[in-house]
Amino acid sequence: MASVGHLNQAPSAPRSIPVWSWLATKNRGYYIAGYAILIFLGFWTAFPVYWQLATSLRSDADLYTPVVNLIPRAWTLNHYYNVLFGARSQFGIQFVNSLIVAFWTTFIAVFFGAMAGYSLTRLRFVGRANLARVLVYSYLAPGTILFIPLYVMMNNFGLRDSLGGLVLAHLTFSVPFSTWILMGYFKTIPVELEEAALVDGASRLTALWRIVLPLAAPAVVVVSVFAFTGSWRELLYALVLTQAKEKMTAPIGLTAYVVGDTFYWGQMMAAATLLSLPPLLLYLFGQRWVIQGWTAGAVKS
Amino acid sequence: MSTLQVAARGAMTRSGAGRGTLGRDWQLGFVLIAPVFLVIAGLVAYPLGYSIWLSLQDVKVGAPGTFVGLNNYYKILFDSEARIHASFWASLKITVLYVGGACLGKLIIGMISALILNAEIKARHFWRSLLFLPWAIPGVVAAYTWKFIYNDVNGVANAALTNIGLIDAPILFLAKPENALWSVLVGVIWQGAPFWTMTFLAGLQSIPGELYEAAEIDGATTFKSFVHITLPSISSVIVVTVMLSTIWTTNGIEFIYTLTNGGPGGATETFPLLAIAQGLRAYDLGIGSTIPLLFFPFFAVMIYFLTRRLLNNEEA
Repeated sequence: MASVGHLNQAPSAPRSIPVWSWLATKNRGYYIAGYAILIFLGFWTAFPVYWQLATSLRSDADLYTPVVNLIPRAWTLNHYYNVLFGARSQFGIQFVNSLIVAFWTTFIAVFFGAMAGYSLTRLRFVGRANLARVLVYSYLAPGTILFIPLYVMMNNFGLRDSLGGLVLAHLTFSVPFSTWILMGYFKTIPVELEEAALVDGASRLTALWRIVLPLAAPAVVVVSVFAFTGSWRELLYALVLTQAKEKMTAPIGLTAYVVGDTFYWGQMMAAATLLSLPPLLLYLFGQRWVIQGWTAGAVKS
Repeated sequence: MSTLQVAARGAMTRSGAGRGTLGRDWQLGFVLIAPVFLVIAGLVAYPLGYSIWLSLQDVKVGAPGTFVGLNNYYKILFDSEARIHASFWASLKITVLYVGGACLGKLIIGMISALILNAEIKARHFWRSLLFLPWAIPGVVAAYTWKFIYNDVNGVANAALTNIGLIDAPILFLAKPENALWSVLVGVIWQGAPFWTMTFLAGLQSIPGELYEAAEIDGATTFKSFVHITLPSISSVIVVTVMLSTIWTTNGIEFIYTLTNGGPGGATETFPLLAIAQGLRAYDLGIGSTIPLLFFPFFAVMIYFLTRRLLNNEEA
């Protein structure tokens, strides 16, 4: 890629200006190197995504040949059809399971998070500062330490192979995160607005629901996107807590396309593409907010 | 939600009457925080304590345990007779290599990407979306895609290398112990670098342009400006990113689980994979709980520093 850029430049430069003096112009080297690296990086990030998509649309005849074609020769939607409507395919159910778990995780995380965030920023009580610290501790607490005790607990409560159990497990990371981000945002909303409402006789909960939450809409969006995608892509707890195929979430469901030593690559990549769609769409539409949320904390300085 | 706004807001509420009038209702305060408190107490704190309790027992799935004190810890760390002893130390070495390699790769790619995206390039929005793309793809999905790319029969990596003439026989990227960890790392870096790019880019954008103009007038080269202005300005961002990424990468299992499942022959068995194998496949809950706990002090130190920093930002 890099050399192609060079070759294109060289002949197009007029004879009267030698290539080297053109290149020697101030900072031109940085420009060319910069674009060359950029194109390389773009290729590096885009190729696996392209390959996943291309594989999912390729017919098996084209897929299992010794010659690998970069552009599919025979296109088909069969893999998608088999994944979604195949007689023995569970992917449809698992996809819906993922949606249910992610929805409830998001809803509960935002609901609880808004209540606690309001409490932590607007009301003073004993232990308030410590609770804020505990939130961050819990957010950073690694799932690898919690998965064995959670497995035993869910087992005891009969919550293995249940979507409710998975939602509970996903709350361990989504609730602290959403509370913390909402708390940070609530601090930026002037209290005077609520004071006016309270003087007019509104209850505190009305103030939270009618005034604070609408003003915090951007933060609510960020938190929702995070809780949703976090739950959507979660693997460890889902792996540990579900055994029954019809209770699995879609990320675990991908293993169904490996049977012994045989990989059903076409169907697997079709399922994988379907699985990437929700987070991808959220990312494309809410990019600015999502990035803001993702880097929150790391770069506030 | 700029930090300046937060700071201004904080100063106003603290000195003004706002806090006072809004702050009297401590009962409601407790009620509103109760659900989050219950989640943290029941689903984070209690399991953590329970995990410590399990680590002090000889306990298998479906059987009552017997209290054995620190025996599990002793067995894993010092008992050369026990099979887990050797696998633990091997796993520790692999975990360190894995995290070190991942951080180094993400640091390099993240820094280069951020520097280029911060420069005045054409179609910046397009390039930014493109370079952030891997972040939006779920880890398991990306891992399976890489698995297909690495495949030795119809994988594109081997096909490309053969076409160029670099290799005669397909490389066993994942099936050979000496290749497996590096192959896994490439995928992990692919997926993880965008987060570093994002934080670095945000850090770079907060550096005032005047600093560079002044340096240019003083005749500093681009490289010198980078070393003396850019790096010091974003050093704290780098430290926080390294710590966050270390916690997440160490505990991330998507790529290893999908690509190699710890194999071949334990060559990619980082400690979470070892804990899964011991706890859930060998049904030894005692040993399975002890393994992650042995790494806990390491995480605790990082979590402590991160929390202090993140909360300082909130308050300041």
